[in-house]
Amino acid sequence: MTPADLDQVWRRCAPDVLAALLRRSGDFDAAEDAVQEALLAAARQWPAGGPPDDPKAWLVRVASRRLLDQRRADLARADRELRVTRQTPPDALLAPAADAPDGGERDDSLTLLLLCCHPALTRPSQVALTLRAVGGLSTAQIARAFLVPEATMAQRIARAKARLGQVGARFTPPSADELPGRVAAVAHVLYLIFTEGHTASTGRGLTDLSLAEEAIHLTRRLHRHLPAVDEVTGLLALMLLTHARRAARTRPDGSLVPLAEQDRSRWDRAAIAEGVALVEAALPAGPVGPYQLQAAIAAVHAEAPGAADTDWAQIETLYRMLDAIAPGPAVTLNHAVAVAMVDGPAAGLARLEPLLQDRQLRHHHRLHAVQAHLLEMAGKDAEARSAYATAARLATSIPEQRYLNAKASRRPPGDPAADGGRDRPQP
Amino acid sequence: MKYVILIHANPDPWGHPSSRYTAEGRALPPEHHDEMDRQFDALLEELSASGEFVTAEALADPASSTLYGWSPEGHLATDGPYAEAKEQLAGFFLIDCASRERAEEIAAQFAQPGGTVELRPVMWPGGDDQ
Repeated sequence: MTPADLDQVWRRCAPDVLAALLRRSGDFDAAEDAVQEALLAAARQWPAGGPPDDPKAWLVRVASRRLLDQRRADLARADRELRVTRQTPPDALLAPAADAPDGGERDDSLTLLLLCCHPALTRPSQVALTLRAVGGLSTAQIARAFLVPEATMAQRIARAKARLGQVGARFTPPSADELPGRVAAVAHVLYLIFTEGHTASTGRGLTDLSLAEEAIHLTRRLHRHLPAVDEVTGLLALMLLTHARRAARTRPDGSLVPLAEQDRSRWDRAAIAEGVALVEAALPAGPVGPYQLQAAIAAVHAEAPGAADTDWAQIETLYRMLDAIAPGPAVTLNHAVAVAMVDGPAAGLARLEPLLQDRQLRHHHRLHAVQAHLLEMAGKDAEARSAYATAARLATSIPEQRYLNAKASRRPPGDPAADGGRDRPQP
Repeated sequence: MKYVILIHANPDPWGHPSSRYTAEGRALPPEHHDEMDRQFDALLEELSASGEFVTAEALADPASSTLYGWSPEGHLATDGPYAEAKEQLAGFFLIDCASRERAEEIAAQFAQPGGTVELRPVMWPGGDDQ
């Protein structure tokens, strides 16, 4: 087993080990420390003879022993009356036998995920704590993924844990009427992890860390726990269908390839098949949620053999539904594109008019990029280039900016200023 | 999303916090500065607690800068300042927050007598999803 494989083994085990410890002890910090110590012990001992037959049980045993040792040391050091604690011997904390039902263990890691998304925490705290406690990522890995210093991320995580203690959050599932809201929070956190983290190299020559893949992994687990929650199914489908396009999304030089120009032979067909199947499974008799709708839209794109085969009428309908239940600037922009594809660019541009007056939205590069695209469709090249240039100046993503600058400097064929038809930003 | 908050000021003599040493700042009574310091400390405490604070530095007098120019023959080093402008870069804060609105809310609290505070987004190496 390579160091990378071992890393995978104990990273996948870590949340269940943590959950097992938290079930008995309410102290998040102490439990986490004990898990970290057990992982260090594994890192020292496993490479020599390979991992034990039951890695999880081994880790739980070692972590529980550390937790008890630490508690005894704390009590002795405090030199105060011994409190009556549950003196659970290490044996009782062993993971159940391989043939025992693992229902209890599963519920624990779901409870942990729900706990990390407690409403007392800010969204960024929820994201960081989820990645730490449930994803098993190190503070350094999370910090790198969000491009902040490790100390900053360590502080966010520490404060999140302290906050949970402050509000008396228990390691128990939320009540029945709290549950839907909490699940929604978890879904939102997982979606943020999917969209906002980026691939970060772990640096020690181990595997590159893709937060998108972490998000998919965690969403899969959530879906396994809650197969009847359609929005969770929809979220997993949306992630799979989006992630399926990643190989076609960027050129070797890092520049972006728009959906219409992507080489669809590079799309991950297995991921698409799985995503489409999930979308179809989630189509309920009842009301449909935003993740399901976004997934359905992604499925329509995924099923088109080529850009020209896209069923834009269906996409337009889906965006109209999304606008009704979860309106927002991104939805309006995407809807405008769909309208343009069905009714022509003028109709799409008309929908952008009110947005261009909005003080906040005027700062958003995507509004100008979409406007530019529709102007281009309408044959208004000079205006399109100007809008692309505006979009480029407002962009905060480096590859996106490069793409928009290229569009802004492109000349139509026959134009004396054309550079042989090649896209290239002006010097 | 990350933003920088850049403090442009002309403290004379150079000193920190720059708000005490600008012409407009020197015209204000000490109690005013003490109150501003208290409010600023509270702001930093809030930003630390929320995890929005990433890093910050106060900068030395631009006279101690070295400027590097490029020519085909190699680089050319000269003594600072960068520009003969009245206002120089006096310090910066790097914050990480949820939205532009929140960033503006934070930056507004940096406004100081004798100086211009600039809020600018930081670029992100990731691409927008397609």
